[in-house]
Amino acid sequence: MRLVAAELVESRQILPGQWIQSFHAPELATGSRAGQFVHVRTGDYSGLVLRRPFSINTADPATGIVTLHFRTVGRGTEWMTRVREGERIDMLGPLGRPFEIDSRSHNLLLVAGGLGMAGVRMLADEAVRGGRRVTILFGALSASHVYPSSLLPDEVEYVVATDDGSLGHHGFVTELVPEYEAWADQAFACGPHPMLKRLAALAAGRRDRLGVAKLGRKRGGPTDPLGSAAARRKSFLQVSMEQNMGCAVGACLGCIVIGVAGPQRVCREGPVFAADEIAWESIS
Amino acid sequence: MKAKKKVVISTEVRRSKAPKSGKRAFPPVWSEDSGAGRPIGAGRKVETSGDASSRPRVETGSAAVADLGAHVVARPTMSQREALDRVDLSVDIAPQRGLLLLNPILVASGTFGYGVEYGEVVDVQRLGAICCKGTTLRPRAGNPPPRVTETPGGMLNAIGLQNPGVDAVIEKYGPIWQGWQVPVIVNIAGESIEDYVEVARRLDGVPGVAGIELNISCPNVGKGGLQFAIDKDAARAVTAAVRRATELPLLVKLSPNVTDVRPIAKAIEEAGADAICAINTLSGLAVSVDRTRAFLGNTYGGLSGPAIKPVALRIVYEVAQVVSIPIVAIGGVTNLDDVLDFFACGAVAVQVGTALFADPELPVRLGDELRAECLRRGLTSYKPLIGTALPARTGAPSAKGAEYRP
Repeated sequence: MRLVAAELVESRQILPGQWIQSFHAPELATGSRAGQFVHVRTGDYSGLVLRRPFSINTADPATGIVTLHFRTVGRGTEWMTRVREGERIDMLGPLGRPFEIDSRSHNLLLVAGGLGMAGVRMLADEAVRGGRRVTILFGALSASHVYPSSLLPDEVEYVVATDDGSLGHHGFVTELVPEYEAWADQAFACGPHPMLKRLAALAAGRRDRLGVAKLGRKRGGPTDPLGSAAARRKSFLQVSMEQNMGCAVGACLGCIVIGVAGPQRVCREGPVFAADEIAWESIS
Repeated sequence: MKAKKKVVISTEVRRSKAPKSGKRAFPPVWSEDSGAGRPIGAGRKVETSGDASSRPRVETGSAAVADLGAHVVARPTMSQREALDRVDLSVDIAPQRGLLLLNPILVASGTFGYGVEYGEVVDVQRLGAICCKGTTLRPRAGNPPPRVTETPGGMLNAIGLQNPGVDAVIEKYGPIWQGWQVPVIVNIAGESIEDYVEVARRLDGVPGVAGIELNISCPNVGKGGLQFAIDKDAARAVTAAVRRATELPLLVKLSPNVTDVRPIAKAIEEAGADAICAINTLSGLAVSVDRTRAFLGNTYGGLSGPAIKPVALRIVYEVAQVVSIPIVAIGGVTNLDDVLDFFACGAVAVQVGTALFADPELPVRLGDELRAECLRRGLTSYKPLIGTALPARTGAPSAKGAEYRP
């Protein structure tokens, strides 16, 4: 974690209201892993007192470029779209815990809803680089909100669902998951909390339906402590959670989600959690 | 007996008592051509009369301005660095018991965790002090999410005093704090006087705990907290009870959610508090996006940030005129001007809170900027900046925290 002056090198609108900005920030590009985020300071002349957290969309250590993918939802993100190329903005990062891929997992299922693509996009790069097969299931409102396939690695299988049926499967993206649950060794998801809740319910019943062996230690042996990287690595489903955030370093306790072991800070214990760490009945 | 105490304006005398002044020992401020070997006014002691009824006061209003001679740096040949080094920012915010800070910029409770969270980006040793997250007797899970939201010029929070309990805090962070030079002031909260007393008792004598900030003003917990801050008798009772339980320096944090803060501040002073912190957050509300309910999980939240600075200034201004213990100001500090405003209204130190989230380096930078500002004004101490905006003669604020020694 450090404060970085990231220089904007490219800003483009990939979809109506959705932007991908590229920043030259070698410190972030080399040090970050998929699932981590940065806390971006927006112009303070506009009366904004908080930074904005963004998942690191991609990071390229070779060029020192990191990209952020966001939707303009308020004054902070609107301010970001007006930043000019060459200007530097203040980022704190990389923050949070990353997705963990088990070394025995070959087939990875990535599930993204809307802007959730930004949360799992970098994981696709990591997995492809590691020679793993990746399927991304993507859900959006309509065809005009679908993440362009040209922005994904060629090796990835990309399946789309839209709520209005204008492209791909007509319905929620979670309806596509059962087709892949036998194929996938691990699943990773980012998106609206109801979607994650549905996925967690599916993941919880998966082992019984498929009768697959549990990854990790045999029954009776020591178990990995809840919340540890090892526990996340052995979990079938990892989810990236979202919450209104204050400090993003774990000091203010503002960004909690309710976990089975009590409140969990999204910025420190998350944003990536094993699905069984979250008390899903508290999530609506 | 109070009146017998000497009021000393000499920076040298204060310096000699500052334990941590060894490295940055105050160089003599006299110039070669000064006949007396010291600048005009330096070392001058103001003796109060023995009249028991008259409270010793340092006139920090117009009198202080007239006294600027005592703080003039008369060495234009000095390098900038040396000149900055001889500006004295140290302050004792609990003169009766001793809580010496190297500079008057603190970080506010709840915004800096336990001091370790920001460790990778902030040099915590350069802070004046750290007020840690509100600590209660038993662990608390806090309020349901969402807990924070941004508002124009500020933010609402409703954390609900989530903390692992005082014993866990002592066990986990005590050893870390003990190794730090920066004082850690533990913010404590409770539902009853017994809770407060027990927490204070457990903190008493713990190495690494430099003081207690009594949080009687948290607006985000259903029971406890705020009720002690809105009634002067309750405030007096809880302050006095904690005072009896501990010898640690005791700061009491006021709530702005009251009609008139002055009787409460007075009661807290009379009950034996070493200093007053003002202010906690203002109670506020945000509405959900679909406007069917309140946004925050706790319904109500506490408003902080630049939006509340005028309220904080008003309360510091009022309190400064009725109490003679030091005042630590909190509320919307985002730059040096804010710090100077609070000093002008009678505060001897300020806490930075919400602004940290956007700019974690701000408190350390404010210390540097204050030092430079003192130098620019030709001061060797920031004390003359205190209380300059208070009405003259109607009870100037005490600069006891700054100038007063028993």
